Amino acid sequence: MSMEKILDKARLNDWIAALAKGGDWEVHAPALEDGVWTYKPVGDAVRMDHPNTKQPPKGFSFPQREVFFSFEQIKGEAPRLTQVMPDPKRRAVFGVRPCDGRGAVRMDRVFADNVNDPYYQARRKNVAYVGLACNTPPAATCFCKSVGGSPVSTDGLDILLTDLGDRYHVAAVTETGKAMMAVAGSPLADAAAADRKQVKQVHGEAVAQPQRAVNNPEAAPAKLKASFNSPLWEELARACIGCGICTFLCPTCHCFDLNDEMTGTVPIKGNRVRTWDNCQFPDFTMHSSGHNPRENTAARLRQRVCHKFQYFHENFGMLQCTGCGRCVSECPVGIDIVAVVNKVAEHVA
Amino acid sequence: MINIQDIRDTARDLLAKGEVRAVIGWRAGSRGMPAEPVVITAPEQADELVWDPTCYHNLALHLVEDRKFLAHARKTAGAPIGIIAKGCDARAIVVLMQENYFKREDVYIIGVSCEGSGMIAEWKVARQLDGAVPTAAAFAGDEFAFATAAGEKRLPAREVMADRCLECRNPFPKEHNVALGEDKTGRALEAPFAALARFETRSEGERWEFWQRQFDRCIRCFACRSVCPMCYCEECVVDSINIAVAPETTAEEKANRIRWIERSAVKSENITYHMTRAIHLAGRCVDCGECERVCPVNIPLRLLNNKMEREARERFGYEPGASIGGPSLVASFRDDDPGAFIR
Ligand code: SF4
Ligand code: SF4
Ligand code: SF4
Ligand code: SF4
Repeated sequence: MSMEKILDKARLNDWIAALAKGGDWEVHAPALEDGVWTYKPVGDAVRMDHPNTKQPPKGFSFPQREVFFSFEQIKGEAPRLTQVMPDPKRRAVFGVRPCDGRGAVRMDRVFADNVNDPYYQARRKNVAYVGLACNTPPAATCFCKSVGGSPVSTDGLDILLTDLGDRYHVAAVTETGKAMMAVAGSPLADAAAADRKQVKQVHGEAVAQPQRAVNNPEAAPAKLKASFNSPLWEELARACIGCGICTFLCPTCHCFDLNDEMTGTVPIKGNRVRTWDNCQFPDFTMHSSGHNPRENTAARLRQRVCHKFQYFHENFGMLQCTGCGRCVSECPVGIDIVAVVNKVAEHVA
Repeated sequence: MINIQDIRDTARDLLAKGEVRAVIGWRAGSRGMPAEPVVITAPEQADELVWDPTCYHNLALHLVEDRKFLAHARKTAGAPIGIIAKGCDARAIVVLMQENYFKREDVYIIGVSCEGSGMIAEWKVARQLDGAVPTAAAFAGDEFAFATAAGEKRLPAREVMADRCLECRNPFPKEHNVALGEDKTGRALEAPFAALARFETRSEGERWEFWQRQFDRCIRCFACRSVCPMCYCEECVVDSINIAVAPETTAEEKANRIRWIERSAVKSENITYHMTRAIHLAGRCVDCGECERVCPVNIPLRLLNNKMEREARERFGYEPGASIGGPSLVASFRDDDPGAFIR
């Protein structure tokens, strides 16, 4: 039987304090900073009335920059390597929207299921996502439903909160979530039958809200595959300026680059660093010969869209895109992945 | 007020007569609003064109892209390319021509005046509409009219205009082949450099602290660079390919290329990036404000470029984008320069 509780909104901060004290959790929640919703370590006042955050919570398990190891070579001696593992601090992230929970599932496929990335896993096992169901009308750019998600999806989350006006309905999704709900000093109370009924109704209404849609998403992988050599890509990418907004804000983009950053020359010293890479940049997959298989914005847009709707599907049996809409709302020139997929599907036999 | 039909007729006519090979303009976006840049090549596409307060993109960027595209494809241009240009787009085109990036005869400028208003700042609209999602925006004199699910909403233009437009002194594209709309040169709704002046009331220490925090927030998506028509370098110092690679370039040379800026989006590297960019734009930035508009984390980049612009104006009486034949701030040299060091 799943665990369902009720939390008086006025006592949200008490629960967070209990998690910090009793569970040794470092709690993060969205805060409005410079007009941008950003996950921040929680101060004393948490308000969870945010739309989705500008950046997904992806950075908690896959930060934009991380050091793998440091190196040092004293002349005449063997080089010394020191592995740098992430801080084992446990972090609870509040207010994660369902599309971003589904983003975490996809990141896990890449870094935890398929290959064994110790850095990713070290972070991931210490992060808990406390989701917040979307029961207000979706943003104009949301399309989670048409890519297999839902505004009340629990995929990838440890707990799902649902706003019921003056209180939250709190549902455990994982064992970690259960433990967090039962933390010493927790102000959560048992959910009454009326609460359960209300949450069902609220969820039903949320799912019924109209959204934009990718038409026939099941057919998208095959359609995209057939479009590889289509001249349509050039037309679709005509306005593209080649910036990195779409992928740096995406909850599922995971391409990275490795570099040595020098910190000293005598002795030679430095760090091996992983940073996010970006398929929209002109130097992405540039070979050392100078040749680039994705040499223009058309090939790079195709890469991004086909990765989300075809290649990932071929590799993992699911669409990579979770419909969060960030790449749509933030694109400086209005390139719209929903419109692109639909247009390609229309034009390809 | 400009009638959209006039823009469409002009574009259609030019394409039909073969006077231009394409026209760069705006069409409705896939969600209705905002508009999106488009390049049309056939007369019948002219009916797609729109002109509304979301036509904020500096289309000069797409002229730059067109030139790069032709160069890579080793094609010659043939007929000129047409472009619909606001005041700031036209200023950018002038700077590009001053720098010999294009010849005047290769570009046909269809000027459109922003007249009494300008373009919206979406965050200001969102603040005023209180949750209502607009699906279209239109000019309406001193107001903008927004279509929303709850019917039409009108907002005073001044309340929701982008800062760059409030401070704009040249909403009329002086350089043009044909111009539509009224010439309202000199109409700044706010004092020029007003946002900068407000910022500069802070102490030096506060300003440094402010910028350190802002640069710390930068995620180095490079949208500010990508959107800027003046950032046309084929290889940018911040990219990992900042050496020209030829077949005879050795592995050693590639490995030892100078890395001016590390890939890590950390404060030190971000500061170097932004300082390099600000210096490279001195006397060139036309204050189209696009870099500030596109920044996903709201870093107020206009403040940096405006600072350089104001210095140039106050010290040298220089205004970027004023005339194609005029001297350029950093690239021109005079035999009778008063500074002995330069002669
Ligand atoms: S591709 Fe776009 S809409 Fe899909 S998950 Fe990424 S940012 Fe969100
Ligand atoms: S800066 Fe001036 S010319 Fe440019 S959009 Fe604004 S008002 Fe128009
Ligand atoms: S657009 Fe903003 S976040 Fe992106 S590189 Fe420029 S300043 Fe940084
Ligand atoms: S620096 Fe910014 S304001 Fe200046 S021309 Fe470039 S994009 Fe426009």
